[in-house]
Amino acid sequence: MIRKSQNSLWNDAFQRLKKNKLSMVCLFIIIAYIILALGCKLGLFFPSFNETNNAISYQAPSAEHWFGTDFMGRDVMARAAHGTLTSLTVGLWGTGLAVIIGTLLGSLAGYFGKLVDEGIVWLYTTIDTIPYILLVSAFSLVLGPSLYTLCIAIGLTTWVGLCRVVRAEFIKHREKEYVQAASSIGASHARRIFTHILPNVFHIVLIQFSLGFVSTIKSEVILSFLGLGVEPGTPSWGVMINNAKQELARGVWWGLASATLLMFVLVLAFNLFNDALRDALDPKLKNKS
Amino acid sequence: MGCIKQIITSLTIGLLSISMFTACTSDKKKFENSISIAYGSDVKALDPVFAEDYYASQVSSQIFETLYEYHYLKRPLVVQPLLAESMPKISEDGLTYTIKLKKGIFFQDNEAFKEGKGRELTAEDFIYSWKRLLDPANKSQGTWVFDGKVKGVSDWREKMRKGLADYDTPIEGLQATDKNTIQIKLEKPYHQLIYVLAMTYTAPTAKEVVDKYGEEIINHPVGTGPFILKDWIKSNKIVLVKNPNFRDMTYPTEKDEEDPESMLKDAGKKIPFVDKLVFNIITEDQTRWLNFMKGNLDILSIPKDNFDSSIANDQIVTDLADKGLELHVNTEPDLTYIAMNMKDPILGKNKKLRQAITLAYNTDAALKKFYNDRGIVAQSIIPPTIDGYDPSFKNPYKDFDVEKAKKLMVEAGYPNGKGLPEFEFATTSSSTAVQMAEFFKDQMSQIGINIKIVPNSWPQFTQKIHDAKAQIWGIAWVSDYPDAENFLQLLYGENVSPGPNGSNFVNAEYDKLYKQALLLPSGEKRTKLYHKMRDIASEELPMIPMIHRQGYYLTHGWIENFKRHITISDNFKYIRVNMDKKKKLKPEL
Repeated sequence: MIRKSQNSLWNDAFQRLKKNKLSMVCLFIIIAYIILALGCKLGLFFPSFNETNNAISYQAPSAEHWFGTDFMGRDVMARAAHGTLTSLTVGLWGTGLAVIIGTLLGSLAGYFGKLVDEGIVWLYTTIDTIPYILLVSAFSLVLGPSLYTLCIAIGLTTWVGLCRVVRAEFIKHREKEYVQAASSIGASHARRIFTHILPNVFHIVLIQFSLGFVSTIKSEVILSFLGLGVEPGTPSWGVMINNAKQELARGVWWGLASATLLMFVLVLAFNLFNDALRDALDPKLKNKS
Repeated sequence: MGCIKQIITSLTIGLLSISMFTACTSDKKKFENSISIAYGSDVKALDPVFAEDYYASQVSSQIFETLYEYHYLKRPLVVQPLLAESMPKISEDGLTYTIKLKKGIFFQDNEAFKEGKGRELTAEDFIYSWKRLLDPANKSQGTWVFDGKVKGVSDWREKMRKGLADYDTPIEGLQATDKNTIQIKLEKPYHQLIYVLAMTYTAPTAKEVVDKYGEEIINHPVGTGPFILKDWIKSNKIVLVKNPNFRDMTYPTEKDEEDPESMLKDAGKKIPFVDKLVFNIITEDQTRWLNFMKGNLDILSIPKDNFDSSIANDQIVTDLADKGLELHVNTEPDLTYIAMNMKDPILGKNKKLRQAITLAYNTDAALKKFYNDRGIVAQSIIPPTIDGYDPSFKNPYKDFDVEKAKKLMVEAGYPNGKGLPEFEFATTSSSTAVQMAEFFKDQMSQIGINIKIVPNSWPQFTQKIHDAKAQIWGIAWVSDYPDAENFLQLLYGENVSPGPNGSNFVNAEYDKLYKQALLLPSGEKRTKLYHKMRDIASEELPMIPMIHRQGYYLTHGWIENFKRHITISDNFKYIRVNMDKKKKLKPEL
């Protein structure tokens, strides 16, 4: 039977994903987070996250404030929810930038080889020798802390892993028959790279993207914890955890609890989903499930 | 004119903590006779010329000594000779000071000297060191101590700038008349001179050492003091050890009325008592606190979040007292303030706007939030415990009144903040500093002013202020000497950036009063002038006086002779570690 063209790798993968119940639960959790973040962005959820009230600073969880209040008397649950927006924004843009850079450089290096390859390998090897956190903090210090700096800093420093993988895939693919066929009918380099090879390695980019997403969310938290993250006043899990190291001394645990709980669930869901996604997209595992 | 002992508000009282550190392992049961203290910020240089912030100045003053110092125990502060033999002889017109040096004072051993042995200190060393301080090439922030006050100094500095003079060119007002005599000639009476000669800026360095190390001199301090630099790991710790050749110096034999008898039990004994001092750089409050609780640090200023767990009704809680901990409370000559840059085209030109900002800030709430209600809401820039403080003074703009502030905003031409750009609030990046900034931002939003918070590293932060590039920022000033002039100079027109007047406030009447007051000795007449200046500052508000912080210190049971005054920085030589108690108490922590 001839397969329909839609019944491609992607369709197959999705079918396999659907069979894995845990991964679907994770997917729903991720979607719920995205809805939460979008709702916060549009002002539908927790519009009063910046409302301060000095009379009720550090109030313990109550019916009115489920997760208590912070030092400015702001509702911790609202802050944590808005932290989701910050995390997902950084995750999306930071990883997005890294994916663009990594894929582009990786494909050029793998496809052209020789000097181009050597140049790009030299570049990512050099960047890779610098401890990642140091590099990101240097960026944050130079550009000044803000959400966008953070995205740029993370994007510019986390593309190396992806670049390596894409390069390896391109080296493998560039000599394959379909590429040679394309070249024999006169396809340009750009055409061969982007319309022929890239779609065949794109599942790897996708996996790397979702893996990068998780580590970017963690980076945002770590950098904010170090005081290099988002602009002060922006709700962020990292800032909440950072403040907690002092607040715990006075028995204020709710800031830490809500931020870590939200982060824990999101990161766990992402990781489990990633595993399932990788299995689903891996052609070698195709016949095993 | 005060030296710069600026401490950012954020770092809370917490930073100035003294503590003890034992590098030993407990299983060996070896305890060192050492004191270690923890700072919240890094020390930039150990050189009297750069003793501009509290940390640099305090570490330096263990290694370097000055002509005069403050009596360890007496309050209010009393000046006494240190390297000088006696108090200066002052001519009848008050313009010539003659100071005799103590004999037999030697520099610490260093390879810069012949055969590595420290040579004897002479009057010439002071003249050389003061020229180094005044040398425009060194860009010291301490030039104000002599510049404009001592004859020939401004002239010499001008010539140095043009390359027409060098260190051999004499300065008329700073002369060594013989090996042991220094003569200082003043242009006009300068009643703070005696205090200035007790500041680390004026401590002597040997020329041989400066010549040997060149630019590296900031890392190679060699003074005459009781401690020698042994090890310096940047951003981590500074280790000083006892100077084996330190002269015979003894613990004071007189005490303040309020001190317990035990403060004199070491009277007349040779100091220093400890073998080693360790200054740890620990940025975070909780890390300091935990280290203290473990006994690695044993004198600590209580971090803001630990008050509830350590103090109840102004007494130390029992479970800490059972561990042998002691509480020391000090009213300090300290001022935290929010400065506004008068060079800013909007902030600087609009008095009503500054008044509105002041009125909209709830200092009481800040005191509760950040200082556990322990401190005094500052009404003016003159803090308690120093000459010129008036507890009855009320600043009309220090009452938290949003309605009045809103009215002033209308009068200023920015009803509800309309037409105002976003202002930048510069701060350091510690979480407390950022929280304070967030509080300010929140307070300003009540009257429609938008604030953007910009965190910086400490050097970045001070640099911004020196370059007059900051717009609004929070900082603190700790007195260098017990005279209100030290705070009033923060607004003197000739001290603008990179000087201590970071607000760049210039007001002809204020400057006139300031110059008049400089010529007067302590007394009612001078206090009146001080109060007039205070009133101008309270009306113009180039800086918002915030809080006079109080010092809350905890010490472990084995620390003896501990008494603190923020102006006395060479206090470690008097502190004793009771080794028996340490052996008993420390393992139980």
